[in-house]
Amino acid sequence: MKPPAFEYLAATSLEQAVAALADDEAKVLAGGQSLVPMLNFRLLAPSILVDITRIPGLDFVEGDGDGGLRIGALTRHYTLETSALVQTDFPVLSAAMNHVAHLAIRNRGTIGGSLCHGDPAAELPGLALLLNAQLKTTQRTIAATDFFASALSTILAEDEILTEITLPALPPRTGWGFEEFARRSGDFALAAVGATVSLSGEEVSEARIVVIGAHDTPLRLSAAEALLTSRSGIAAAAKAAQDQVSPSDDLHGSADYRRHLVGVLTRRALTAAWQRAEGSAP
Amino acid sequence: MIRVTVNGVTSEHEVEARLLLADFLRHSLGLTGTHVGCEQGVCGACTVLLNGDSVRACLCFAVQADGGEIETVESLGTVDDLHPLQKAFQEHHALQCGFCTPGMLMTGIDLLRKYPLATDAEIREGLSGNLCRCTGYEHLVQAIRSAVEARNES
Amino acid sequence: MKAEARPKIIGARVQRVEDPRLLAGRGAFIDDLNLPGTLHVAFCRSDHAHARIVDIESAEASRMPGVAAVITAVDIADKMQPIRATSRMADYYATELPVLARDKVRYVGEAVVAVVASSRYLAEDAVEQIAITYEPLGDAIDPVAAAKPGSPLLHEEAGSNVIVTRTFARGDVDAVMASAAVRVGDTFRMHRKTPTAMENRGYLAEYDQGRRALTLHSTTQVPGIVRDALVEMLDLPGNRLRVVAPDVGGGFGGKAALYPEEILVCIIARQLGRPVKWLSDRLEDLMSTNQAFDEIVEAELACDDEGRILGLRAEVIGDVGAYSVYPWTAAIEPVQVVSFLPGPYRVPSYRGRVRAIVTSKTPTGAYRGVGRPISTFVMERLIDMAAARLSLDPLQMRRRNMVRSEEFPYKSASGIVWDRAGFMECLDGVATAADYQSLRQQQAQARAAGRWVGIGLASYAELTGLGSRIAVAPGMPVNTGTESASLRIDSTGAVTASFGIASHGQGLETTLAQVIAEELGVRVEDVEVIHGDSAAVAHGTGTFASRSTVLAGGAAIMSARAVREKVLEAASHLLEVDVGDMDAADGRIFVKGTDRALTFRELARAVYSEMGRLPREVREGIELEATRMYDPYFGTSTPASHLAMVEIDPETYRVTVTRYVVAEDCGRVINPLIADGQVQGGVAQGIGAALMEEVVHDDGGQILTASLMDYVVPTAAEIPAMEIIHMETELPDNIGGFRGMGEGGTIGAPAAVANAIADALAPLGIMINELPATPERLFRLIEAMNTEQPE
Ligand SMILES: Cc1cc2nc3c(=O)[nH]c(=O)nc-3n(C[C@H](O)[C@H](O)[C@H](O)COP(=O)(O)OP(=O)(O)OC[C@H]3O[C@@H](n4cnc5c(N)ncnc54)[C@H](O)[C@@H]3O)c2cc1C
Ligand code: FES
Ligand code: FES
Repeated sequence: MKPPAFEYLAATSLEQAVAALADDEAKVLAGGQSLVPMLNFRLLAPSILVDITRIPGLDFVEGDGDGGLRIGALTRHYTLETSALVQTDFPVLSAAMNHVAHLAIRNRGTIGGSLCHGDPAAELPGLALLLNAQLKTTQRTIAATDFFASALSTILAEDEILTEITLPALPPRTGWGFEEFARRSGDFALAAVGATVSLSGEEVSEARIVVIGAHDTPLRLSAAEALLTSRSGIAAAAKAAQDQVSPSDDLHGSADYRRHLVGVLTRRALTAAWQRAEGSAP
Repeated sequence: MIRVTVNGVTSEHEVEARLLLADFLRHSLGLTGTHVGCEQGVCGACTVLLNGDSVRACLCFAVQADGGEIETVESLGTVDDLHPLQKAFQEHHALQCGFCTPGMLMTGIDLLRKYPLATDAEIREGLSGNLCRCTGYEHLVQAIRSAVEARNES
Repeated sequence: MKAEARPKIIGARVQRVEDPRLLAGRGAFIDDLNLPGTLHVAFCRSDHAHARIVDIESAEASRMPGVAAVITAVDIADKMQPIRATSRMADYYATELPVLARDKVRYVGEAVVAVVASSRYLAEDAVEQIAITYEPLGDAIDPVAAAKPGSPLLHEEAGSNVIVTRTFARGDVDAVMASAAVRVGDTFRMHRKTPTAMENRGYLAEYDQGRRALTLHSTTQVPGIVRDALVEMLDLPGNRLRVVAPDVGGGFGGKAALYPEEILVCIIARQLGRPVKWLSDRLEDLMSTNQAFDEIVEAELACDDEGRILGLRAEVIGDVGAYSVYPWTAAIEPVQVVSFLPGPYRVPSYRGRVRAIVTSKTPTGAYRGVGRPISTFVMERLIDMAAARLSLDPLQMRRRNMVRSEEFPYKSASGIVWDRAGFMECLDGVATAADYQSLRQQQAQARAAGRWVGIGLASYAELTGLGSRIAVAPGMPVNTGTESASLRIDSTGAVTASFGIASHGQGLETTLAQVIAEELGVRVEDVEVIHGDSAAVAHGTGTFASRSTVLAGGAAIMSARAVREKVLEAASHLLEVDVGDMDAADGRIFVKGTDRALTFRELARAVYSEMGRLPREVREGIELEATRMYDPYFGTSTPASHLAMVEIDPETYRVTVTRYVVAEDCGRVINPLIADGQVQGGVAQGIGAALMEEVVHDDGGQILTASLMDYVVPTAAEIPAMEIIHMETELPDNIGGFRGMGEGGTIGAPAAVANAIADALAPLGIMINELPATPERLFRLIEAMNTEQPE
C-alpha cells in the first residue's frame, strides 16, 4: 500500500518545527520506522509531516560527569546499541537494544521516536522506566513514570517535541538483567523484563523491575520489587510480577501465557541481576 | 526539488512528498534492482545504503534522502564483473528466485562493516531482518561466512 | 578424445547461469517492466466475510485525479466468458470463479471494485472514496459448522457447503480395527498457511490494437494453463494471446493457479488500449493469494502386537475457502491428504474419507507439498504413537512396515503404485548419517539433566513428474502429463532450447542447460533456455508438482539426442567420416582419436549459409532443430526420510531445532548445489509450518494475519543448518533417471518436527496433534496437564 498525500517540511530548528506543529493534523517525523508503516497502511492521514532529523544538536550521547547520561532524541538505535558510554555505564540498555528490530531499522529509528511512539512491547520505553529517565521536551521535563499514557499514546501535547532524555547514574554495585521472549529474532516482545538489583553490604538497597509487552504501557512492578529483600526473595518477586501484570490476548500469545512468561522472565532477569551485583557474573 | 547522489551520480528531481524512496529508485530512476516485498519494513527486500548505512527504502520518503548518498545493488558489481560478495553468493548458491537477493547483499555489506560475525549464530541473527522464502538460509550463511573470512584476512 | 572422456556435466556443481543477472540487480521481475502509458489498478476489497452487495457508490472515485476507469462486475460481464474449475470427479461441485464479486462477497479480501489510474498512489486515493453497502448473510467460518445442514450457504446453487466427497478404501478396515491388538488414534489439526513468496503476485497486460493481440506478463508458474484459459474466456486465438512469466520471485504453488486479477488486467487493457498493471501489495497477498493446508483429520491406526500395521482409517475435513480454484479445483489439497495417508508403508486395509467444505475465507490451492504435509504429519504421528504403545523404537517400527525393495511395484492402500525407489535406503541413510543410536544416548543424558530434548523421524514418498496416466488433480481438464522441448541450433551455431515450464527459483535455466550440454556436446553457457513463455512451445503447462526436471528434462534429452543425430550426420558429410567415428563435446564435433574437428558455429554455417557444402538430399531434412514431447506415463516417485532433533525450553516452551538431517532419493542428481537448495528451502517452509506459520481469522472471518509481522515466517535465526544426503537410486524406465524434487522438504519437516516435540514431551505424557506447535499451544497443553494432575 502507498501512503496518502501530505505536505513535508524539513525543519531546521525546534522553533520552526513547533510552529509547523500548530496545524492540528501535523505529525512529527523522525526515523520513520514506526510512522511510515502506519502511513503505508493508510492508518493515518496527516496534513503535514514535520521532519525533525535535520535539526542540529539533538543527536548525542554524553556523560553527565556523575555516571549518568544525556541522550539526544535524534540518537539512532544503532548509535545507542554500540555506544561505549552506554556499554560501560548502562549495559542493561545495550543488552535491550540488541533486541530491537534489525540493523536497517536500528540505523534509522531514533530513541525519541521509539519513546514517543509508545509501543507497549518496545524496549526503549521500558528501559526509560527502568532507568528512571527524565524526558526533556520543548515545553517541560517529564519523568518516565508519567510519560506513557496508554498503548501507542503518551502525554505529549500535539506540538511538543521530545529533545533529550537523561539517565541518572545507577548506584554502585548494581547488577542488571534483561530477558525477552519474542517469536522471531528482532520481533516485538511477547514479554520482556528488565531488572536492576543494587546491593549495599549484604542488603538490597534498591531493586527495580520493569515489564514490557504485558500491559498497555511499560510497567514498573513495585510490589514485586518490594519483595526482593534477599536473594531468596527472587521466586516470590517473580510470582508477584506475574500477578501484577494484566496482559491482553492477541494473535501471538494469550494473556495467560504472557503472564506465565512474565514470571519466568522476571526470575531469570533478577537472577542475572543478582549475580552481576555480587560480581559473580560479568 | 531534491538532490541525491545515487551510486555516485548526483541528480535533482521534483518529487511528491509521499513518494517512497523505493519507488523513487525503482520508477523515477529505473534502478529496479531494489525490490519491494512488503512496504511494512519486515521483509528487507528493499534494503539500500543511505549515507553508508543500510536502511529500508520502503520506510523512507525520497524527500528525506535530500542531500544524501544512496547505494543500491547496482553499485556493487556488474553481470560481467561481480562484487566479491555477489561472487560468494553465486559460489554458495545463496539465491534461488533472486527476489530477496539485493536486500540480502546490501544488508550483508553493512553487517560485514559493523559486526564481527564470529559465529554462524551471529550471522543468522544479522540476516534475520531479511526474509528469504526459497533458500532455507543455509547457503546464505555459508556465503556470508566466506565473506567474513575474506574480510578477516585482508 | 574418447567418447567416455566427455566431461560429465550432469551431476556437476555447476554455478547457476541465472545468478549474475539476479545478483547484479538486472533481473526482470514483473514490476521491473515499465511500458509507457501504463495504467495501475488498485482494488476495493470486501471487508465482509459473507454479505450481499447492496450498493456501490463510486462516483466520487471516478472524479479523483488520474483516474481512468472505475470498474465493477457489471462492467465486465459482457467482455468475458465465465470460468469454473470443472472436473470429471463424482460428488464435486465446481463453484464459479468471479473476477469481481457480483451480487455477493464470500471472503474478506475478495475484489469488488477496480480503480484504474495513472499511478498506484492515485488509484489507492480513489479506492478510499468508494463506499460499498453490504447486507451480512451469516458466516460460514468454521468448516465443521458450515458442513451442517441449515448453515448459511456460500454457493446456493450447490445446495450445500460440502463440495467434494471422496473415499478411498481397501479391505474391511472396521473389522480389522475391531480385533487389532493395538489401536492408536487422535484428531489432528493443521492450521491454514499461505505460501508467502517474497515477490507478491503481479500482472501487466498490453493490447496491441494493430495486431489485435494481447500479451500478459504474469508472475505465474503456469503460463500455458493461463494462456489456454484466457483464450476461452476472452475469445482470442492462441497465436494472438501470449502469456509470459518474467523472472518470478518464488511461487511455491501460490502462483500456480489462474487468478481473477490477471483476467481483469487483460480485459481492461483490451478495453482501454493501454498497458494495465496490477501489483499486489503484501496486505492483498495475505488476503487473496490462494492459501493451504487447512485440515482436520480424525485418524486411527491398528497394528498387531509386533508393530505390523493392519489397518488405517481416517475422516478428513478440508476447509477449502470460498471458491474452487482453476484449474486444480478445491479437491487438490484435501483429496491428496487421503490418497497419500498410507505413506510408504504396507497398509493392508484402509478407508480414507474426505469432505471439502467451502467457507468464507480465501480460497485454498496448491501450496508446496499439497496435502502431503498433513497426511505425513498424521501418519508419522500415528506410527510414533503405536511404537510408544508397543515400546518399540520409532526407527524399528518404520523399518518393520516400510515397503521393501522386493515388493515394488507396490500398490498402496489408496491405489497409488509405488515403483522402485530408495524407500528403505533413505530411512537407513538418515539413521546412519545422523548416527541415530548416539543421538538417542545424547537425548537420554539431556533428559537426565532435566532438559527437554526430542528426536523425530518422518518418512514419505511423493509422486513426482506425473505422466499422462495420473492427473495432478483428480479429473481436472488440463493435461499436465507431458512436456515438450524445442531445441534449435541457429545459423550462428547458438543453441536455444524452449520449454513449457516456468522456472521461478528452481534453477531450471541451469539444470536444463546442463542436460542439453551433456547430451548435445556443447558447454552449459552455450545453451540459452527459454521458459515461461506460452509462445515458445505449442503446449506447456508450467512448473509445479515437482515435475519440471522429470518432464522437461526428459523432453530435453529426447530433443537433444534428435538434434545431435543431425549434427553428427551433417558433420560426417563435411569431414567425410562415419558417424560412428565422431563425437561432440565442449562445443566441438570431432573425429575420435584425431584432432580433426568442427565447432558448432562452423557446422551451422556450413548447414545454413554456405551453399553447396552439403549435397541437396542431405540439406533437406537436416535443419538443426527438433521438438520432442515426453510423457513419463505413470511418473516417478521420490521418497525421503527426515530426522529432526529439538530442544524445548521447559519454561518458555520455545522450540529450537538443533539438528536436521534429510536423506532423499531424487534419482540422478543434475546439480548437487541446486538439489541441496531445494531441500533446504522446503525444509525451512516445513519448519515454519510446524512451529510458527498460521493464517488466523477471527470469528467474523476477518483475517488477523495481514502483515509479515503477524504471519510469521521463519528467519535465518530460527532455521538450523541441515545435512542432506542424496541416495540416487536407479530409475530404469525413465529417460533421464531423474525423479522430481522441490516439494519434499515441506512434506517431511512438519511431521519430523512434530514427532520430535512429542518425543521431547513424552515424559509428561503430552500428545502433539495440532500444528503449528507455537509456544502458546505448548503452554496450554502443559497447563492442562498440570491442572489435570495436581502434584
Ligand atoms: C520491522 C520492524 C520491527 C521493529 N521491531 C521493533 C522492536 O523489536 N522493538 C522496538 O522497540 N521497536 C521496533 N520497531 C520500531 C522501531 O524501533 C522504530 O524505530 C521506533 O519505534 C520509532 O522511532 P522512529 O525514530 O523511527 O520514529 P518515527 O516513526 O519517525 O515516529 C514515531 C512516532 O513518534 C513521534 N515522534 C518521533 N520523534 C518524536 C519527538 N522527538 N518528539 C515527539 N514526537 C516524536 C512521531 O510523530 C510518531 O508518532 C520495529 C520497526 C519495524 C519496522
Ligand atoms: S519492502 Fe521494505 S522491508 Fe519489505
Ligand atoms: S531467493 Fe527467493 S526469496 Fe530468497
